[in-house]
Amino acid sequence: MYSNKVIDHYENPRNVGSLPKDDPHVGTGLVGAPECGDVMKLQVKVNPQTGIIDDAKFKTFGCGSAIASSSLATEWLKGKTVDQALAIKNTDIVNELSLPPVKIHCSVLAEDAIKAAISDYRKKQHGSVTVEEATAQPNA
Amino acid sequence: MTSETGAPTVQICANCGGGAPLDVHFCPQCTKILSLGRHGDYFAFLGIPRKLNLDGSELERKFRTLSRQFHPDYFYNRTPPERRASLERSSYLNDAYRTLKQPTARIEYLLEIECASGRASGGASSQVPPSLLEEVFALNEELDTVREMREEGVPLHEWRSRLDRARGPIEAKRAKHERDLEALSAEWDALVDQETNADDRMRVLNLLRERMLERNYIQNLLAGIERELTE
Repeated sequence: MYSNKVIDHYENPRNVGSLPKDDPHVGTGLVGAPECGDVMKLQVKVNPQTGIIDDAKFKTFGCGSAIASSSLATEWLKGKTVDQALAIKNTDIVNELSLPPVKIHCSVLAEDAIKAAISDYRKKQHGSVTVEEATAQPNA
Repeated sequence: MTSETGAPTVQICANCGGGAPLDVHFCPQCTKILSLGRHGDYFAFLGIPRKLNLDGSELERKFRTLSRQFHPDYFYNRTPPERRASLERSSYLNDAYRTLKQPTARIEYLLEIECASGRASGGASSQVPPSLLEEVFALNEELDTVREMREEGVPLHEWRSRLDRARGPIEAKRAKHERDLEALSAEWDALVDQETNADDRMRVLNLLRERMLERNYIQNLLAGIERELTE
């Protein structure tokens, strides 16, 4: 039932691993699918100069399609801006991997993971600005 | 006559055209078996209250009684509509019994029918709390480490003891999960008896739904442990 592309990503997953969670330029998304019990962690590292995603890592505990979806997502994320990353849709993943209807939720999980990672990154950026402002004040 | 949700509460006898309540199986007027058109949910069909802590022997007794009443063998020389009705009712009865006798299937079914009646929470709680996901992720990573140890030829007693340590918190989670479900089930049953307001019922149903979302995560972890032990 798995396409060759799914099998390829499953057997040779790209970008497995993790990035330092506390790095201000790293965004982490951890999502789960209650209907199957899969858990997926996806991280992006954004270059502060260019605003481009330099690196992306994932780790997924779940079925082959969930692993392939997140592996593909990390491949696509590299070299994209944060806004471009948010434009990745689960249907793009479904098409690329030829996922059958019963596995579409795996691609939804990957899209959710991207959104969660970007949102975490943005929260950190937003937070760090206010921290910098707060610490900058006494010197001014 | 309609219920609060606007669904019809009577079925019509195809034989005599008379009306009958949804939870009866034979026409009160002509006594013929009713075709399975409009019908009640599994609880109503079996004639038991919509409760989660069911008396297993009562459930079985009701099932056996109805099984005998509907059995296609008793209808072999009746009209085709009656034969069809006996098959339909027997088949629905089997589905109802299979679902209700299993405690977690019963909870899932209750959530399904309670939400279908228009009082769903709108999917607001389709995710488990982030802390649970983090915990599940960490436990999965620990199982991964044990797997690697085993594959690298680390002596059995070393990886086994690490696996046993990982098993502790997972078993504890499962035990707590079961206790939570039991407590919520008891709370639900008390609300059914009190015929209390919809808000209270919704609150308990939402808590039940949240707990049910955890189930597959815990079960996958336990399956992961079993896999390590049997491979």
